[in-house]
Amino acid sequence: MSKIQEHRVMLKYADDPEQATLAGYRHNGGYKALEKALESMTPDQVTEEVLASGLRGRGGAGFPTGRKWQFVPETDKPKYLAVNADESEPGTCKDRQIMELDPHQMLEGSLLCCYAIGAETAYIYIRGEYPHSIKATERAIEEAREAGLVGKNILGTDFSCDVWVHPGAGAYICGEETALLTSLEGNRGYPRIKPPFPAVEGLWRCPTIVNNVESLACVVHIINNGAEWFKGLGCEGSTGTRLFCVSGHIARPGVYELECGKFTLRELLEDFCGGTGTGRPIKGVMPGGSSFQVLTPDELDCTFDSDSVQKAGSSLGSGAIMVFDDSVSAVEVALNIAEFYSHESCGQCTPCREGSDWVRKLVARFCRGEAREGDIELLMDVTDRMDGTTICALAEALVWPVQSYVRKFRSEFEAGITRRAAEHEFGGFSKPVESVP
Amino acid sequence: MSGNGNVTLTIDGTEVTVPKGTNLIEAARRLGTHVPHYCYHPALSVVGNCRICLVEVEGMPKLQIACNTEARDGMVMRTRNERVEKGREGVMEFLLINHPLDCTICDQAGECKLQDYAFHHGAGVSRFEDEKVHKPKNVSWGDRVVFDSERCILCTLCVRFLDEVAGTDEVSIDARGDQVTLIVKADGKLTSPYQMNIIDLCPVGALTSRDFRFKSRLWFMQFADTICTSCARGCNTTVGVRDERVLRMVPRHNADVNGDWMCDHGRLHFAIANDDERLSVPRVDGRGVPYAVAAQRAADLLREAGDSAAAVASPFMTNEELHVLKLICDAAGIEKRLFLNPVGPGDELLVHSEKSPNARGAALLGFEAVDQDCEGVQEIDVLLYVTPREGIALPETVEARAKRRIVFAFHEREADVLFPLTTWIEKDGTVVSAGDRVQRLVKGFSRFGSLLTERAALEMVLQALEAGFEPAATPAQAFERVAAALAPFEGLTFTGVGAHGAPLGRQEVPA
Amino acid sequence: MRPVSGNGKFSAELVKRVEALWERYPDRKAALLPALHLIQKERDGWLSDETIRDAAELFDVPDMHIKGIVGFYDMFHGQPVGRHVVRLCKTLSCKLRGADELRAHVREKYGVLNGETTADGRFTFKCFECLGHCEVAPMMLVDEEKHTELTTDKLDAVLEALA
Repeated sequence: MSKIQEHRVMLKYADDPEQATLAGYRHNGGYKALEKALESMTPDQVTEEVLASGLRGRGGAGFPTGRKWQFVPETDKPKYLAVNADESEPGTCKDRQIMELDPHQMLEGSLLCCYAIGAETAYIYIRGEYPHSIKATERAIEEAREAGLVGKNILGTDFSCDVWVHPGAGAYICGEETALLTSLEGNRGYPRIKPPFPAVEGLWRCPTIVNNVESLACVVHIINNGAEWFKGLGCEGSTGTRLFCVSGHIARPGVYELECGKFTLRELLEDFCGGTGTGRPIKGVMPGGSSFQVLTPDELDCTFDSDSVQKAGSSLGSGAIMVFDDSVSAVEVALNIAEFYSHESCGQCTPCREGSDWVRKLVARFCRGEAREGDIELLMDVTDRMDGTTICALAEALVWPVQSYVRKFRSEFEAGITRRAAEHEFGGFSKPVESVP
Repeated sequence: MSGNGNVTLTIDGTEVTVPKGTNLIEAARRLGTHVPHYCYHPALSVVGNCRICLVEVEGMPKLQIACNTEARDGMVMRTRNERVEKGREGVMEFLLINHPLDCTICDQAGECKLQDYAFHHGAGVSRFEDEKVHKPKNVSWGDRVVFDSERCILCTLCVRFLDEVAGTDEVSIDARGDQVTLIVKADGKLTSPYQMNIIDLCPVGALTSRDFRFKSRLWFMQFADTICTSCARGCNTTVGVRDERVLRMVPRHNADVNGDWMCDHGRLHFAIANDDERLSVPRVDGRGVPYAVAAQRAADLLREAGDSAAAVASPFMTNEELHVLKLICDAAGIEKRLFLNPVGPGDELLVHSEKSPNARGAALLGFEAVDQDCEGVQEIDVLLYVTPREGIALPETVEARAKRRIVFAFHEREADVLFPLTTWIEKDGTVVSAGDRVQRLVKGFSRFGSLLTERAALEMVLQALEAGFEPAATPAQAFERVAAALAPFEGLTFTGVGAHGAPLGRQEVPA
Repeated sequence: MRPVSGNGKFSAELVKRVEALWERYPDRKAALLPALHLIQKERDGWLSDETIRDAAELFDVPDMHIKGIVGFYDMFHGQPVGRHVVRLCKTLSCKLRGADELRAHVREKYGVLNGETTADGRFTFKCFECLGHCEVAPMMLVDEEKHTELTTDKLDAVLEALA
């Protein structure tokens, strides 16, 4: 038995099949936070409570949610909430749990946010590849609307708020908050240059808050139990509980709700998740989706929280932990990642549009054992030049992991250079790599 | 601190004060510093996609794009240093990896910002050894514009121009990543009457003019900064000429007149200048004669006719030409002083309803606007008539009301005295454009070497009428004479009018 | 269903649903993505140039704007598709648990590569980037149904059951 225990707050009733219904949700205490806020708290008090809780955005960037809300200016313009349910970061499957198993929780959190920022409309942008989440959320909204929890004069108060599901259509970049807004307005999902920031000028040039599903789910519990209670969970910098998705070569893959700061990454993977389950040792771990650096077995003893993992040279990102064992070529993993970003680059700005596929082509060369002398340096330099020169962070999301693979598994890349190919276990990869257009 | 809605910042070590809201490209421009850019245009929305305008701003960890960074008080910005150059070099390399190496056959060569910046900011060698992305080439976007997707750097200036300025929103972007390409609406043809501006806007050779394609290398051409004469707007233009031929006309920036644009109609309206069938010598009774002989004959006819003559001027004449014509009328005692004033539909952007450049000048100089019926002209002895331009002329029935005719025309025709008419690109002079703005025509070449402008020809006629008259020695002197004769021109000088024109003075122009 | 309202190009039911979507946004254009999903369903699962023109007319936007959207989003198909669309996740978590083998299996057994449609028109096979079911990898979406913890046998059973 592992010393690590799940601490289920958001997923507390995930196993209750009735939880997805309004009756079930209410039976388990649902919409109490909304009632409490509307009855006894001003919008500013809600924001203050969220700010005090130390809640940081759960989409990957980790920006304090309450601070974000405070950026919404006083204005006569309409304000909007756009719920970022475009969960597309490789390895991430947590928001899906909330939407499919407990959609009212997200809805209640969204209503709380709208109340706090003065929004009367919320759009839940769910990725198109989540038909089940879309259906479950739509059903929840309908039920809530009929029960007077969505629409005009919610719970008989002055607070009115409409909520709509907005399906995406297959583009990773739409999870980037400004691209999400551009997409929601009926366009190609292009990220926008900042400033202006969405909180000031978002949807239709009106103040808009973009929040991740899990962040909003947390808000429900913060309002129910108070900021102090939330801060008592986890650790400083990673307050509350967090959903983590563990996948890849792992004995017990799954979505777990955990408190940060209580154990190490190695303990999580080897004790709680039972190791790789393949009988082979861990070779690499991507602790925060594919957009951050890979960690090697000697780097897993960091405490499992945002700041410590950052100190170890990576990030908890979207809470997606992908593990691979030593049967895998690091170059091939890097190629899989490069393929992802090259396919998902929106094509708007030069370094990412042109550089992403160049990086993919370079990594593929290593993978085929056809790289040339100097290609490692070239790969590092090309990625360097993408870093920090683009409109959004997608380029960095390619650059950081790829560079980390080169740095940490350099010998495998060296083996990809033609004349050394035959000398290395992974040199000259046996399978032809089918390119994905 | 600089108050008054201004901010003071330091650019490459030099302080500059600019209005609040100025971006860093424009702030640097104040100091004569060029921050390279492709996707930025001051008249279009800022999208920041090309990333070549990277600059260093103290206190910002990353390089910033100058186009979307507002100048702030106390800001310290550097447009040139190792870090900035490395950033730009990186962007240049990315732009070039999938760009075809076809400068040798590309029309843009010589005015290509990709070439220019590659020279100034590029590394000089390519490290890209993989297969380039292939995209459609030589795609027709209708009669005027040809698109090469491989050369396109996706700056979207064309997309934004058509959407934001022309208002026709007819180009968009397809696909994703490095496969992106521009697309036009279903039938594949642009419709905007301003569509050719996207050719000028295109910083590379992705959009080329069907009309100009492969006609000439830039460096074999000469250029005249003049104006368009298709309507009263007088869009400022640069005309490219080679071997006494107009090869193209493109808009030239003038914030008070046309911004950076012009209409396609005006741009393409230069065929007459290249017409080889044009009249090359004056004629008397159908025989070619020297100008002096034709001028003497014209003077004799006019003197004999006195006030039974009429002058029908052209609003395509310059003020200077009209002024000499006025003096001829004075000398010969001609009272009927008219001009044909073509009008037609205009639009809200640039196209004016007066379809000539100088109806205002003609009116100022005492000529009365008439339509083609010319009702005031009946049973006269002599008609002195300057044809406006091809397609616009007095009907034969009106001409037939005169017994004798002195005509300025482009082509051979019946007349007692016939003078070759010249085009706008063959003369120096001024016109009064819409908004009562005096603007200059600048000569690009003289056709057939020997062709005289209407001013010179009319001056010879005037000399034959009045022995004491001295022709103006220079365009400037001719202008001075106009300015001296007309009150609204008071205070204006030829140099003062310059390349960008100047508003007329205190007096209202008669309607 | 016979076209009766809107611009006369789509079924009355679809037009009704699109009109309901318009009510949700201050700008009709915002309803494009949800509407294009509906339109694609009504038009045999893909968006031809003709369909795009019809949709552009309905929305009063330039057709190439919609074409640009179709080219941007992976779930919109600018080419004809089979009766079913099979989306197999190819990203890391699924790859580590056998997505490559599944892909090879589909190629061998059904003769289709990424983006291709089987000769009998039964299904179009697409390799998709992360479909968000990493904890139950490998997975595929067949139309709107998900199939997780796939093996070649399981995949065969699902595909063979397709009409």
